[in-house]
Amino acid sequence: MSTAASTESPVYTDAAVRGFALAAVVWGVVGMLVGVVIAAQLAWPELNLGIPWLSYGRLRPLHTNAVIFAFGGSALFATSYHVAQRTGQTPLFCPPLAMFTFIGWQLVIVAAAITLPLGYTQAKEYAELEWPIDILIAIVWVAYAIVFFGTIGIRKVRHIYVANWFFGAFIIAVALLHIVNSAVVPVSLWKSYSVYAGVQDAMVQWWYGHNAVGFFLTAGFLGMMYYYIPKQAERPIYSYRLSIVHFWALVFTYMWAGPHHLHYTALPDWAQSIGMIFSLVLLAPSWGGMINGIMTLSGAWHKLRDDPILKFLIVSLSFYGMSTFEGPMMSIKTVNALSHYTDWTVGHVHSGALGWVGLVSMGCLYHLIPRLYGRTSMHSVKAIDLHFWIATVGIVLYIASMWIAGVMQGLMWRATNPDGTLVYTFVEGVKATFPFYVIRLAGGLLYLTGMAVMAWNVVMTVRAGKPHVARIPLVAAHA
Amino acid sequence: MSASPAIAIDPAAASPANGPALEPRSPRVRMRRLADGTRVCEAALRIEGMHCAACSGVIEAALRSSPGVLRADVSAIAERAELRWRPEATDIDRLIAVVHAAGYRAAGDGTPQAALLRRHEQRVLLMRWFVAAFCAMQVMMLATPTYLAGAHDIEPDLRRLLHWGGWVLSLPVLLLSAAPFFVGAWRGLRQRQLSMDAPVALGLLVTFVASSVATFHPGGWLGSEVYFDSLTMFVAFVLGARWLELRARHRAAEQLEQAVREVEQPALRIDADGVTRAVNASELAVGDCVRVALGQSFPADGRLIEGATAADESLLTGEASPLDKPAGASVVAGSLNVGAPVTMRVERVGDDTALQSIVELVRSAASQRPAVSRWADRWAAPFLWAVLLLAAGAAAAWSVIDPQRAVWVAVAVLIVTCPCALSLAVPASLLAAAGALARRGILLRRLDAIDTWSRVTEVFLDKTGTLTEDALALRRVVPLAPADLSAGEVRALTERAAALARWSAHPLARALAAAHPRGQSPWADVHERPGAGLSGHDESGRQWRLGSARHAGVPAAAHPDADTTAGAAVWFGCAGGPWLRMEFDESLRPDAAELVAHWRADGVRVTLLSGDRRARADAVGRALGVDAVIAEATPQDKLQVVTQAQARGAVVAMLGDGINDAPVLAQADLALVMGQGALLARAQSDAVITSERLADLDFARRLARRTRRVVQQNLAWAAGYNLLCVPLALSGLLPPWAAGLGMALSSLGVIGNAWRLSRAR
Amino acid sequence: MDILYLLIPLSALLVLAIVGVFAWATFSGQFEGLEREGSRILASDDAAVDAGQPVRGDSGKKLKDCDAKSP
Repeated sequence: MSTAASTESPVYTDAAVRGFALAAVVWGVVGMLVGVVIAAQLAWPELNLGIPWLSYGRLRPLHTNAVIFAFGGSALFATSYHVAQRTGQTPLFCPPLAMFTFIGWQLVIVAAAITLPLGYTQAKEYAELEWPIDILIAIVWVAYAIVFFGTIGIRKVRHIYVANWFFGAFIIAVALLHIVNSAVVPVSLWKSYSVYAGVQDAMVQWWYGHNAVGFFLTAGFLGMMYYYIPKQAERPIYSYRLSIVHFWALVFTYMWAGPHHLHYTALPDWAQSIGMIFSLVLLAPSWGGMINGIMTLSGAWHKLRDDPILKFLIVSLSFYGMSTFEGPMMSIKTVNALSHYTDWTVGHVHSGALGWVGLVSMGCLYHLIPRLYGRTSMHSVKAIDLHFWIATVGIVLYIASMWIAGVMQGLMWRATNPDGTLVYTFVEGVKATFPFYVIRLAGGLLYLTGMAVMAWNVVMTVRAGKPHVARIPLVAAHA
Repeated sequence: MSASPAIAIDPAAASPANGPALEPRSPRVRMRRLADGTRVCEAALRIEGMHCAACSGVIEAALRSSPGVLRADVSAIAERAELRWRPEATDIDRLIAVVHAAGYRAAGDGTPQAALLRRHEQRVLLMRWFVAAFCAMQVMMLATPTYLAGAHDIEPDLRRLLHWGGWVLSLPVLLLSAAPFFVGAWRGLRQRQLSMDAPVALGLLVTFVASSVATFHPGGWLGSEVYFDSLTMFVAFVLGARWLELRARHRAAEQLEQAVREVEQPALRIDADGVTRAVNASELAVGDCVRVALGQSFPADGRLIEGATAADESLLTGEASPLDKPAGASVVAGSLNVGAPVTMRVERVGDDTALQSIVELVRSAASQRPAVSRWADRWAAPFLWAVLLLAAGAAAAWSVIDPQRAVWVAVAVLIVTCPCALSLAVPASLLAAAGALARRGILLRRLDAIDTWSRVTEVFLDKTGTLTEDALALRRVVPLAPADLSAGEVRALTERAAALARWSAHPLARALAAAHPRGQSPWADVHERPGAGLSGHDESGRQWRLGSARHAGVPAAAHPDADTTAGAAVWFGCAGGPWLRMEFDESLRPDAAELVAHWRADGVRVTLLSGDRRARADAVGRALGVDAVIAEATPQDKLQVVTQAQARGAVVAMLGDGINDAPVLAQADLALVMGQGALLARAQSDAVITSERLADLDFARRLARRTRRVVQQNLAWAAGYNLLCVPLALSGLLPPWAAGLGMALSSLGVIGNAWRLSRAR
Repeated sequence: MDILYLLIPLSALLVLAIVGVFAWATFSGQFEGLEREGSRILASDDAAVDAGQPVRGDSGKKLKDCDAKSP
């Protein structure tokens, strides 16, 4: 199973890696397509077409689940399986179980794609899937943990490379968050009620929500970054010591930032304040990680000119820095008083999602996929460059339009006449937002186009290569 | 070793629970005889677990009260103990057990054990700090609501939950992280000494107990305020400061060990299977066969078993003339093999070798406690008693004014008076400077030397070796006979002599060969007589001789211009007598004049103090630009000059290397010896300049003055901080958390200031 | 804010677990030799399988850095 016979050289087990890598590309296209559809629906509600399964309310969670869990999740599975093997110089702990996680995860996504348009939902942000799927997620996740930690356990290299710490924390945190937040009382096959109520539920939900962002979308992808940037740049991380400090600092501070999602709600004032304070504290470790990654290119900036994959990876870090600055700013109560419920929040989410998560995943997949098929680079490097520029323009359009829209909405909603009445009706605010929705749609379309270019590039690459069986180098355990 | 043990100690029962299982390898023990004939044993141990001056006092007390121990010097900064004992009464294993029983760990110094111990110490401290910092963060989060919310915004039950959370998370901090404070205070109590940990431990204990009471019985006489956040943050800060200090200490120790390792050379040992392996000289054992190549130094005392050669024993005598070593001759460790490759059998290893004495030289330096620290130790106990009384007094006063605050004011006073920064001020600076000096190749024998160096007002320089290059240079060729040789013929003759000189490794021969590297001249039947010279036959079969005056046939009466230093001239002649006299000069080191200029610019008086002839000394003095030249001085003369200077109030530094400088070096306030200097000179030195670069002396002086300023800054700051904060604490204006924060920051500041020195280039 | 009765004990347990992991990492030497470890991943690790040529399995033989073929 994991150790080859002594007369043959041991090889890495990359079947699941290949599966997840390709799935990530596919679900990326799907998830972004749904995103484009709902963006269009916000601008032109007629596009709901009167069909319940295509209504905005049902498609939105499909979009969020598809891009976060299907696209992002598959990318994380692929890269974590890949990195754990390469840094430990060992095949996966239990390859059949890894294949099970692949099949299981695709089942989860397909189940989501079916149930969410059908309207089955728990109505909790990023946790909409009903309880049977939640159980499947839990089973797959446990299997994932077994494979990942098992692989770390049988490693041949004594030191555990820092990326694996980030992956490990992400896996454990998500398990904990999922189990606690998804605790429900089922009443029928597709209907359940949360065991928490009212403001308690809100607190748990946003404890989950923010830490999902923190560990799923940040820690996990930081793990990717710490491995693939050095590999692509062919230089070691700027300060390996700092990367370890970065990890532990993040672990220290992430647990309590959740309340910043609930400013000016029924949550007690003091709880909101704590959320604000610790969100600000989070700024330091996040930026430490960003600097560490970007400065890896210190002394070799010229590589950025010629290597579009590095462009993806380094620019993704810039967006990471931007989002992790914007987030704490928005968690300040006075700022939040303006931004809450506006499109500024959407803009913030997407700068992190398109800018950080999207670009870093694409960069890593561009590095990984050719090697999985026995090649040194993608079918077309020019296409990668094209993808980069299309995506970047798309991101800029998206977040700029949403910033303007968000601030405008906030100002319009709070504008009062001298006699205390509101200046604008809500509808007037919606009307004013319309052009920005169109611009945002354009940005999203560009981003989707870029993803389509990537899909084409991947197909061409895979067709020209064949699944590569990589031999594990022989190494002494204490090297 | 001892006949019957006076005390029976079970090492296994006494050793501490934590840490890796270290093999009880005994350190190197030296036996020697004192002046009055008594036999004593000496050894150096590396001690782990000390973190302040008072700890060393505890260990010293324990060792000195052990029967048979004559001397026990423990340095907390160097983590080293130097012991001397009577072999009849005790042995090294028992003494190690005594250290264990006092609660510390010991291993032989310089062995790889030392590195293992360091690593373990680092890991344990890192763990303690992490627990403290992490839990402090969480406790802070739990405490923040009570700071942010108004008095009635949080229900009492929820408030109790938050306090309980803080209590639970403070337990690991108290039990794991703060353990060194409690253990240190307890050890001190057992030895009836008050250690610096005592006030801190007391403060922590009082804070925790009072907060616990407030948690589980709110509304009692201690109120319902809890200070778990102050407690945990304080421990985290202090441990953080200790972590930095530990790293600095370990780095300095590693640098010193590294410098020492560079002095040691690998030896080529021929193993039983016939394979030649390169091993550390310290790993050789009696009976080993070692191959010594030409130009290598003999790694141990022994006897030649294969081959014959000549050995340069300048390490011992300061003289460069090689001694003849035929097969079977004994050789001395540290001497240079200048004849031919040979094989020797090791007869003596260890501390009788020159190598070992260099190593001991260096290690000894760090053991000594600087005078200022010794002064500080004496005042530590009374100071600490004063602190405790002050705290008790404050508690008593406040229990009348405002009983609820009495406890907290006392805690603040205890914490703020902790003299951590004061005790760190001097050692941290000196150690950092010593590390920077070691990196430049200046090995200190005494840390105090740094302070002396900064106050030097007069420098005396020896000429040979210190200011001159090792290598000699051909200065002048004087034709002796026949009298009508032309310049061209002289040159040709010199080249032929140089070609002959290439057959020898003697320093003068090498210098001659270097002067004319391309001379082609066939010489046959070449023989070398060590101490005399070469002889060979040219193409026409005539025998020529190259070497000392006598060897070349110079009549004994006509040895004009013979130098007091041997080997300054070489004669070249054939059967009829000498034809050429070639004179060599030791060339001045290039940076010598610059160094002298710097010193004089700083107002330091520079005097050349040499045993050489007046003419030569004056010439060198002029070239250097010194203030005065004293020539033809005997060792007594030199001693007198230095003593007179000191009587005038000067702080005297002596730079020398010859064997006859030893008594003067001992007299000087600061004794500096170049790395290649005679062994005896080095034994009397305060610093050895292994880099052989004179520019480093300038660097060292500037660093010493900077260090002095840093020490003064640190002392002023530490004392000022304490003086300022004590009144604040007494008047109740300083809450415990602020006291702790201030104290930790103060220590960090002192260490940071000192750390700047270690980065000096 | 009754939910804190769940979240606070939970986080206390989490703290202990994290401390335990850090302790394991410290004493098994994960934080030592960091300068080398950052560069270790750069050694080429994907070599093609030579069909039909038996190579010894993980017996502890050390691969020279310049030996591995880059993909």
